[in-house]
Amino acid sequence: MSCEHTRLQIGADPAGSAAELEEHLRGCAACREFREEMRTLDANIRRALERPPEWAGAPRLTAPWRPWALAASVLLAMLAVLSVWLLRPSDTLAHEVVAHVREEPDSWLARQQVDAHSIDEVLRGAGVKLDFTSDRISYAQSCWFQDHYVPHLVVQTAQGPVTVMILRNQRVSGRRSFHESGMTGVIVPAPQGSIAVLARGGVNLQTFATQMQQDVRWLPDAQ
Amino acid sequence: MRNPQPESPVSSISERLSGADPRASMTQLFESMRPDLLRFAHWLARDRSLAEDIVQESLLRAWRSRDTLKDRGAARAWLLTIVRREHARLYERKRLELVSLDEALDTQAAEKAASDGDLFTLRHAIMRLPIEYREPLLLQILGGFSTEEIARELTLSSTAVLTRLFRARNKLRAICGMTPAPDVSASEATP
Repeated sequence: MSCEHTRLQIGADPAGSAAELEEHLRGCAACREFREEMRTLDANIRRALERPPEWAGAPRLTAPWRPWALAASVLLAMLAVLSVWLLRPSDTLAHEVVAHVREEPDSWLARQQVDAHSIDEVLRGAGVKLDFTSDRISYAQSCWFQDHYVPHLVVQTAQGPVTVMILRNQRVSGRRSFHESGMTGVIVPAPQGSIAVLARGGVNLQTFATQMQQDVRWLPDAQ
Repeated sequence: MRNPQPESPVSSISERLSGADPRASMTQLFESMRPDLLRFAHWLARDRSLAEDIVQESLLRAWRSRDTLKDRGAARAWLLTIVRREHARLYERKRLELVSLDEALDTQAAEKAASDGDLFTLRHAIMRLPIEYREPLLLQILGGFSTEEIARELTLSSTAVLTRLFRARNKLRAICGMTPAPDVSASEATP
């Protein structure tokens, strides 16, 4: 199977896993990355399709119990909104992370490495350490985010600059991918909070996020 | 005057539910799917009022031919198919009005797309997809139809369906700021 045909198959059904497709993907990193991007996009399409624009609620009913149905619908809608709010905090978190990064567009322009002392200072404030060498970090700031100072780093990778925000006070129940405002990102749970990584465009950050989960050490005595 | 004969599954539902009428469970089954049908119709018709009319008409059609539904497990796909066909009929009747809706959506989405890339933009981008791309995408994602099932429903070849699904996602991909994949899809062909 060629890359072209593989991408056609993936674009038509990102969830597909035909044997021939999988065989090609095993030997083709670019197509694997394409599939990850399309799966992220598809997850967002599914979320978007849950509610059409300007969807106003209950359908028209003509039955005599219409007032009760209307009341029940309103109650259900309120419960649904509450459930969405309670069960999907990371969506809001993702939005906040994207908004924060958009407010600091210069962070991705820096190319010069930040000295180890500055990085340590930023990390120490949040009670974390990094296990990888600091020569890949081109931006390190302690940023006010959701009522706490958090490390905001930019790491230079083969895929370009990637933002890392170490969120000690933001717990998430599981890994969550997002795509917003032209940025792709992943939020992963960590022992004492979560880690958000994001980059511009459709970069696949799954492996990088996993690596960060392993590389960030949470110091027990902090905060 | 349309539909003078059959009983509405909606208007007499309470009477049916209160008795031992075997049709009551069928009514209940249809009603349980109404939200899904409305959502599907809304994405197809891009208008809530039209969607409600389509679903109402579809449920009446379904009620008239309920005896043809042998497997209740297939009810959802069956009803979605009826909704799609009802929309197609309406689309043919109201083509000119729907074209003007396209223009309205274009304006709204263009204004919003410039400022953010959230679900709002994605929703409007889906709404703006041409019907030939939007319809198979909805059948696949909301309806759970396979490529072959979509091909049968739309009387297209499987290759044509693959192409349309690929192009639909590729258009959304571009709108979301990702690099669109080269359009390498084969030319469409009807069976």
